[in-house]
Amino acid sequence: MKLERSKEWWIARARREGDAVIGAGLLAFDPAVDERPSGAQSAVVEETRIAFGKFVNLMRRHRGYSMEQLAQAADLDASELLVIEDDVHYVPEPRTVFKLAETFDVSQRRLMQLAGLTAANDAGLRQEAVRFAARSEAVQKLTPEESSALEAFVVVLSEQEPKRVK
Amino acid sequence: MTVDVSTIYLLDVATGESVEAELRDAIEQAQLDDWQTKWQPALLAVLQDLARKGVPMLQWPQSWHWNWAQKTARVQGLLAFRGFSVVARGETQGLAQVDLTKASREPSQVGKPLVYLDYLEVAPWNRPEFGAAPRLRGVGSALITAAASLSLDEGFKGRLGLHSLPQADAFYRKIGMTDLGQDPAYQNLRYFEMTVEQARAFLEEE
Repeated sequence: MKLERSKEWWIARARREGDAVIGAGLLAFDPAVDERPSGAQSAVVEETRIAFGKFVNLMRRHRGYSMEQLAQAADLDASELLVIEDDVHYVPEPRTVFKLAETFDVSQRRLMQLAGLTAANDAGLRQEAVRFAARSEAVQKLTPEESSALEAFVVVLSEQEPKRVK
Repeated sequence: MTVDVSTIYLLDVATGESVEAELRDAIEQAQLDDWQTKWQPALLAVLQDLARKGVPMLQWPQSWHWNWAQKTARVQGLLAFRGFSVVARGETQGLAQVDLTKASREPSQVGKPLVYLDYLEVAPWNRPEFGAAPRLRGVGSALITAAASLSLDEGFKGRLGLHSLPQADAFYRKIGMTDLGQDPAYQNLRYFEMTVEQARAFLEEE
C-alpha cells in the first residue's frame, strides 16, 4: 500500500498532533516494573546469554557432537555444557568460554561478551544475538534455516578481529 | 512478501525541521530487533526513574500488569500479522498492527467491516508523557493515517476501530472519532470508531 501525500500534508498532521499521547491496544501498555526493578535490566543482559546457549547447542549439533564428545574435544565438563545450553541464568567460567571459542574457532572476545562475562558495549552484537536467538529452535537436526542463521552468526562472531597466525 | 514503502515526513521537535521517514506496510525482524534492543532499554530507564522518584504507579503514564518477558513474547508475535512501521534516522519510530476480521459497532455502520487497530505504540523517545521533550512528532498520526488508508484500499471506506490507551483518549476525540465508551470486555479501555464521514475528513487533502 502506497501513500501519496505532500510534505506539507504530513507536517501539518505532525503539528496538529502537538504533545498528544497516542497509543492503542492492551499490548501498547508499558510493563509494570516489579518490586525488583533490576530484574528487567538483567532480562536485557540475559538476551545475549540465550543466544550464547543456542549458539553452543547449534554449533555442537552442526559438528555432529554429542555433549560428551564436545566436552572431550574442548576439555570441558559435560555437565557444564548441559547447563550452558539449557539455563540462561547460568554464568559460565571464563576458561569454559575460552575453550569453546577455541573449539568453534570464533572470536574469544565476542563470545565472552555473548556469555555475559564482559560488558557488551556493542549494540550491534546484541542485536545480532537477539536476531540469532529468535531464528533458531532447539530440535534434533539442524533445519536449513538454522544452518543459515548459524553461519551468519559465526561470521558476526568472527569479524573485526586481528588475523591470527596459525 | 514485498513491502511497500511510502515517503512521509515527521517534525523534529528540537529544531522544528522536517525529517524524511519511511512508512512501511509491514513489521519485519529489524523492527522487532529495534523494539528489543532500543525501545525496551529506553522505556526501562524511564520507568526505573519514575520508581526511583517515588512516583506512585497509579500516576505513571500507562503501565500494565505486564512483565517484560510477556510483552516481549507478544511483540515477537507481531511478525505474523499485517502491520505498519515508521522508520526514520535508521530506527523504528512507531509500530502498529491491524486486524481485518472485525465489524463496526457505531450505530450508523454497525456490523460493517472495518480495520481494527489492534496495537499502536510509539518509540519511547517520541512519547511526550514522560516529561522529556519528544524527538519526533507525527509518528502516531502517520500510523492512524496508514490504517485509515488501508481501510479505503480494502473497500471498508475508511471505517476504523481501536481501544485507546487512557492518556490517548483526548487525541482520538480531537481527530473526530466517535467515543463509544468503556469496553468491559477489553479491560475497560474506551472504544473509538472512525466513520466513513470522519475518515473522509481525516484523510482530506489540503
